[in-house]
Amino acid sequence: MKKKIRVLIAKPGLDGHDRGALVISQALRDYGMEVIYTGLRQTPEQIVASAIQEDVDAIGLSCLSGAHNELFPEIIDLLKARGADDIIVIGGGVIPWEDIPFLESKGIRKIFTPGTPTIETAKFIEKAVYERDGIAGSHGMEPAEKIDHIGIAVSSLEEVLPFYVNTLGLKLEGIEEVSSQKVKVAFLNIGQTRLELLEPMDGESAVAKFIAKRGQGVHHVALGVKEIEKRIEELIEHGVQLINESPVKGAGGANVAFLHPASTHKVLFELCEKPKGDEK
Amino acid sequence: MSEQQERLNQWKTKTEKTIERFPERKKEFYTSSNIPVDRLYLPDIHEYDVDELGFPGEYPFTRGIQPTMYRARYWTMRQYAGFGSAEETNKRFLYLLEQGQTGLSVAFDLPTQIGYDSDHAMAKGEVGKVGVAIDSLEDMEALLRDIPLDKVSTSMTINAPASVLLAMYIVVAEKQGVPPEKLAGTIQNDILKEYIARGTYIFPPKPSMRLITDIFAYCKDHVPKWNTISISGYHIREAGANAVQELAFTIANGKAYVDAAIGAGLDIDDFAPRLAFFFNAHNQFFEEVAKFRAARRIWAKLMKETYGAKNPKSWQLRFHTQTGGSTLTAQQPDNNIVRVTIQALAAVLGGTQSLHTNSRDEALALPTEESARIALRTQQIIAHESGVADTVDPLGGSYYVEHLTNEMEKEVLRYMAKIDELGGAVSAVEQGYMQREIHHTAYETQKAIEKGEEIIVGMNSFTINNEKQPELLRVDPSLGEKQKARLAELRLRRNSNRASARLEALRKGAQGTDNLMPLIIDCVRDYCTIGEICGVLREEFGEFTGI
Repeated sequence: MKKKIRVLIAKPGLDGHDRGALVISQALRDYGMEVIYTGLRQTPEQIVASAIQEDVDAIGLSCLSGAHNELFPEIIDLLKARGADDIIVIGGGVIPWEDIPFLESKGIRKIFTPGTPTIETAKFIEKAVYERDGIAGSHGMEPAEKIDHIGIAVSSLEEVLPFYVNTLGLKLEGIEEVSSQKVKVAFLNIGQTRLELLEPMDGESAVAKFIAKRGQGVHHVALGVKEIEKRIEELIEHGVQLINESPVKGAGGANVAFLHPASTHKVLFELCEKPKGDEK
Repeated sequence: MSEQQERLNQWKTKTEKTIERFPERKKEFYTSSNIPVDRLYLPDIHEYDVDELGFPGEYPFTRGIQPTMYRARYWTMRQYAGFGSAEETNKRFLYLLEQGQTGLSVAFDLPTQIGYDSDHAMAKGEVGKVGVAIDSLEDMEALLRDIPLDKVSTSMTINAPASVLLAMYIVVAEKQGVPPEKLAGTIQNDILKEYIARGTYIFPPKPSMRLITDIFAYCKDHVPKWNTISISGYHIREAGANAVQELAFTIANGKAYVDAAIGAGLDIDDFAPRLAFFFNAHNQFFEEVAKFRAARRIWAKLMKETYGAKNPKSWQLRFHTQTGGSTLTAQQPDNNIVRVTIQALAAVLGGTQSLHTNSRDEALALPTEESARIALRTQQIIAHESGVADTVDPLGGSYYVEHLTNEMEKEVLRYMAKIDELGGAVSAVEQGYMQREIHHTAYETQKAIEKGEEIIVGMNSFTINNEKQPELLRVDPSLGEKQKARLAELRLRRNSNRASARLEALRKGAQGTDNLMPLIIDCVRDYCTIGEICGVLREEFGEFTGI
């Protein structure tokens, strides 16, 4: 079981507005964290002492009085001086946008401006703590390494290839039939990635249905990943619906799985893991 | 003749006399289509609930505290301002007066509000940030330079050290040749809501209440036109309360001040006419109008029936309004101009005596001069162009508004009974009751917004990407150092023996039961600083450290 994340919510300086501090404290508790709220008028020394004593993972600073540029960096410096700079520090309040780069350069991990949903702050803290501790979080999947290819649905390869090869001058890498998807594909190389032209082999093919409904055009985006099973697991954990819950064989012997567009704001994504030794 | 008819005739006669002394803005009022606009509209007089509504300027004041309201004079347009040094703020004040503002409202920085000098360790990073930095009389003289204190009324948002700032104001006026009995203005002086919602307390409740009743007693004799307290719902609402809670907690606090003053031996009619209120104007238009109308009725009944006040001035709830800061969004800040307009209109239709309209950029930083001007123009447009000020209580008689007014009264009385059960407002504050109620509502509101049940335009709906960032006002970061240097010079220049003697006299006073106001006035006159004065009181009274 993952340990409970501990957070200190602190009000540095003389500012008495603690609606935000109280609301975020409660929201983080509801998210499953342990939260200690310092109360008003805390000096940087008091905040750092409480953070160390309470052994927290993160400190959330709230300031609406404009004293953030002086007080926030002082807290970071004190944490460093006391060897506690593994504590993640975030901030919020009335912080002008132009001060944010300065505060982040001083070591504040992120400034949350008014209107930020509390869940965003909770997820940010969770991710930062898990990353620090080397725990695979539930924050989303390991980012893809590149765009492996972009799939484009075409009615006839013969008709469109001259445009890609002669007019755009792209290099045709090869044509193959992928029986699992009932398509004939042509790969065109562009730098680190490819265009994949898809011609349906019969009327039952998903690509044929796509063309019938929406016409020819961009069909899917393939994300190049490693350890595809793990990536699939992470997505399922996040409630993403997959067309293939276990990998199927795609073009070039790759392991692939499609995400359902209903879960991805209407874009058809493919996860694609190339066989070892085939990396470019 | 029915009772209603008789009272209406009396009201008409009385109002005619008032108009002879205070004429209305125009002889006759018309709409743009030349339809005449009467002073007051009523249903068939036999159906008029004269006991609950009264006539304007008459008990229980549901329809307003003056018989002619804005037909005689608009509300006071009073924009809260202050930042940086006294000189800079003085410039902004002179600018606002030149732009047609009719009253001043001073924002002090947090060290001043909490009784620390600018060179105190706790003041680090805070000097001049949310308001002007005032350490001594010298700063106050710079703040009020070239402002005629016999003509302008000044509101000061100051609570725990209210006595000190009022003392400074009195002495600056004295130096301008203006006697205290001519001074008009307000100090906020409402410590209970500091414990509940705003956080700038210094001393524990008991000595804080003494400082407040000392001010009541002193002003009755020496500064009779001064509003000695502004009992504030504003910050309670900003902290997350709803309209009913705002009103209930504010009036419960008001009761606590009345009880304290009576307990200190004052007669209700000696101080009640100088009590003022300060409310928030939020987004829900009709509810806000109803809130203001209900507030007047509840207070009037309380003063007359419960406390037996005889002077009609004691029954009148006079209030300042500020539009709701927490309703403003950092996203698409120009939308805030529209929010402020609707809120300001609710305040005007609710019969406010003075109004601050927020600037569009307040969720981002202190307002720029341009934003502050648009905010003031918003009030001027409502006053001069909309025609809503041409008849008294134009929403009176609306089925909906009257119903909401009645409901608001009922709900507020229910809450107040609960607070009475807890032993009154001071005790309820000490038990954290109001704080918990407010936090609960604040959290529910936040959840509703995040679930999208409550739409905030531009924030959780109708958003845009890549918003252009507006120009923001910045306070000179070197100000803290400058203010410290100035304070060090003052400490060298002043007669330090006299200053110490004044502080010792104050200490003795604090140990006894004498009124502290004259002693504090002596202190400021000899340039004792706010930190020194509050320092002595901290030593004698102790500090409040939260609940």
